[in-house]
Amino acid sequence: VINLRKIQEACCYEPTSKKKNKTGAEDFDEEQFTYEFTRCVLRVMPVKKSESVGERAIRFIGLFLRHANEKDNELIPEADQEAGIMVETPSTRLTSHLMAAILPLLTAKEKFVRYRSTQLISHVINSLEAIDDDLFQLLRHGLLKRIHDKEAMVRVQAVLGLGRLAGNEADGEAEDSDDDDSGAGLLEKLLDVLQNDPSADVRRSLLVNLPILPNTLPFLLERARDQDPATRRALYSRLLPALGDFRHLSLSMREKLLRWGLRDRDENVRKAAGKLFRERWIEDCAGTAEAEDGQEGEAAAGEAKPPSFDGLLELLERIDVVNSGVENGVALEAMKGFWEGRPDYRDAVTFDDNFWDTLTAEAVFMARSFNDFCLNEGNGKFEALIEEKMPEVTKLAFYLLRYITVLVEALKRVAAQEPSEDEEEEETVEQEFIVEQLLHIARTLDYSDEVGRRKMFALLRQSLSIPDLPEEVTKLTVEVLRGICASDAAGEREFCSVVLEAVADVHDTIMDEAASVNEDESFHSAKSVVSSDGSPSKSQKTEEEDQDKAIREIMVNMKCLHIVQCMLENVEGNLQQNANLVAMLNNLVVPAVRSHEAPVRERGLLCLGLCSLLDKSLAEENLTLFMHFFSKGHSALQITALQILTDILNQHGAQTLETNPALLKVYLKALKSGSKTPEVQAAATVAIAKLMLGRVISDSSPVIEDLLRTLVVLYFDPSTAHNQGVRQTLSYFLPVYSFSRKENQDRMRKVALDALHKLFEVQETLDDEGDAAVEMVGISTIGAHLIDWTDPRKCYVPGNQLTLGDEGSKKAVNGDVHLEFARDLLERLGSSISREEKKLLAPLLQKLHVSPASTHSLLREIYAEVSDAINSKLV
Amino acid sequence: PASATKTRKEKEPFEIDFLSSLSSTLAETIYTPAASNTVISLPKKDWKSKTRNLLPDDKHFNSKQLLRLFLKPRARMGTRRSGFG
Repeated sequence: VINLRKIQEACCYEPTSKKKNKTGAEDFDEEQFTYEFTRCVLRVMPVKKSESVGERAIRFIGLFLRHANEKDNELIPEADQEAGIMVETPSTRLTSHLMAAILPLLTAKEKFVRYRSTQLISHVINSLEAIDDDLFQLLRHGLLKRIHDKEAMVRVQAVLGLGRLAGNEADGEAEDSDDDDSGAGLLEKLLDVLQNDPSADVRRSLLVNLPILPNTLPFLLERARDQDPATRRALYSRLLPALGDFRHLSLSMREKLLRWGLRDRDENVRKAAGKLFRERWIEDCAGTAEAEDGQEGEAAAGEAKPPSFDGLLELLERIDVVNSGVENGVALEAMKGFWEGRPDYRDAVTFDDNFWDTLTAEAVFMARSFNDFCLNEGNGKFEALIEEKMPEVTKLAFYLLRYITVLVEALKRVAAQEPSEDEEEEETVEQEFIVEQLLHIARTLDYSDEVGRRKMFALLRQSLSIPDLPEEVTKLTVEVLRGICASDAAGEREFCSVVLEAVADVHDTIMDEAASVNEDESFHSAKSVVSSDGSPSKSQKTEEEDQDKAIREIMVNMKCLHIVQCMLENVEGNLQQNANLVAMLNNLVVPAVRSHEAPVRERGLLCLGLCSLLDKSLAEENLTLFMHFFSKGHSALQITALQILTDILNQHGAQTLETNPALLKVYLKALKSGSKTPEVQAAATVAIAKLMLGRVISDSSPVIEDLLRTLVVLYFDPSTAHNQGVRQTLSYFLPVYSFSRKENQDRMRKVALDALHKLFEVQETLDDEGDAAVEMVGISTIGAHLIDWTDPRKCYVPGNQLTLGDEGSKKAVNGDVHLEFARDLLERLGSSISREEKKLLAPLLQKLHVSPASTHSLLREIYAEVSDAINSKLV
Repeated sequence: PASATKTRKEKEPFEIDFLSSLSSTLAETIYTPAASNTVISLPKKDWKSKTRNLLPDDKHFNSKQLLRLFLKPRARMGTRRSGFG
């Protein structure tokens, strides 16, 4: 045994030993060696996948063959080598013989034989530089058949071999394009496998082994959304770093990859994506920035490069920060990870006067993201950095004023110019972005310095009354203003009055302009009447004037309503106690809701909704109005109405829902609106999830079970299969709801079998219609979900959270909920439901958890019922 | 003998027997071809995946959203009840 082991080890670990063997045993000839070698290789074939010696042996074989071939080639006269013809040597003969022996095994019945033979052939292909052409075709053909093998492990090996071939063939294709069955065909097949193979291992092997070519790249990058987290991660941690300069990717692809990666469901993917951004992508940019600088470039090679802020600015430009840096854009997350993972940049960054004097979109975003990072991360340990590097209030107000002025002037220029001037417009977008970022910083500043505070306050107040101020800038300005005013009731009053002053200013400015324009126009028209003596032109003019006036009025209203909306989003006090707000409601909001102009009416509705959050009686008075907008409106308006109603319930309590059947109908109707308006259905799902998790709809509410049952059915109903908003909300909500409270779990138990029955019916109709295109999970799977959600061991018990992981306390949990579930099941089984349904229900009984810590009387009771059921052959 | 059983318990090393002649069972394992191609292949229906094995767009529904009003994303729910006003 020991001797055998030694030989085995010698084979595995010393690739040259066979050579020695050969020379030491000169009695044997080449034929005999070839025979012996093949004989030994065959022994490796049945080795199971789990045995690592199998793989070592195969690697040894590959290594030996390569070595032998190289040695043989050295012996060939150089002239022949240059001729480029493959010369037959003992090693090529050995290879051919061996491969010919292994090839038939590719279709062996035993899966491990197929596995090892595929592995060996792929390995040999990847080890050798050249293979006889005929043999090569045979191997290629054999492997191609195995890419659809039943066993994933065989497919993995097959694609490993073919991936390399596809690369070579694609390279050579330009030269011998007469070959029909060339690289493109093979590549196409492999790309097909990459998309469709059910095994993630296969897809992942292909992902990292396929050649990166212009025509494969889109398929490779698509794997960023692969179902398998490890495959997604491989893309971020292996493929993309190997790709070379990321700037070769298209702008939209960069943004997508970054967004998908940084917001992935799996933490490891997020980490890999973050690392890619802050270590690889930055180096691509920093490299060029340095090369332009000249002398520094050489010194930095090899060791960690010093921070390059030109590089960072370029990186931000390359991810199009003007677009990706807006609210909900991915750039902020990317930079958060960057500052987190790059202390060198964090320490080296400085923002001097020159920096603020020459802001670009990228530069200001760098400052803003740094400010955010220091403020929000690391539990305050970076706050000193803000003190050290960010400007004080007065200074920031100074720069803010400057850039707002630049923006307003740019906007005026654009307005005055022909609409085709793209370049100017692009500039205003950048200027707008700069102002937005400065406001983001301003929102976080400390306003205890009275001089700075006053300066900023005046500046914001003044800016707010500029009618041309873009919406997002307006919104941020209002938010900063709210932050400057004290957070108490008096501060809120000050805030409201100053914003409403600005609203009045805006109103006056636009109306004044309108008036002056009208005067002008009427002057001209009067003249023209005199000169041309034609009366029809006059009436035409007045018509135009009327139209102009109407448009102006709409614009004024929209602008004022928008400011008011931004203000109301930041107000919390009682409406009736604030005279300014009451006046605004009556003079601006109420007339807007009654307006004949749809955009004005809809914005008015939103403001009325916001006001209703501040005043319960106002909310109750207008409930019918909101419901009316829901039933008559287009889908976006329906969503707004639903959100208003839900916020009202959240704010003022859900009694209105319980006492108002029409309101409940709104929700139920919205939940069923999937086929026509899936987005409304999704919004309704989120709304109800909120109301139920927030316990706004109380336990005693008569509607709560209806709603929960509807949601459970909705989750599994095939009609929502394509409504990801609904599905994803519910996949979060249902378990969280069930596990968060004992009462919730019991309610889930109560509705479970009704929901299951309903779904059973849905499935039967599907079967009847023979609609195979609609996919629905099996009833038994649904049952397993319901059992899981009602599992008493998974429920949160107050005071028990510390020991939740502990098996002992899990066992000791009261399991009445599953006992009740058992009772429900038995009751159903004894009822008049169909045999098929009973067959599906019965197996659920054995999945229930019976806990010894349950109520004893209930345990006995259920035991008796189960015994009865068995005796009467119910089950 | 005692030590022999001991080592066996620790780990049974896997061995490839290169020396002895091929046993008939082993030969059978190696040389028996599959009855037909279909037996060792993936059924055709699994060759194509409807979803291309890709995830749907994430909606990122989370607990943070639950605590916010729709209309006032900056204000936390319930602040009014505990606050002034």
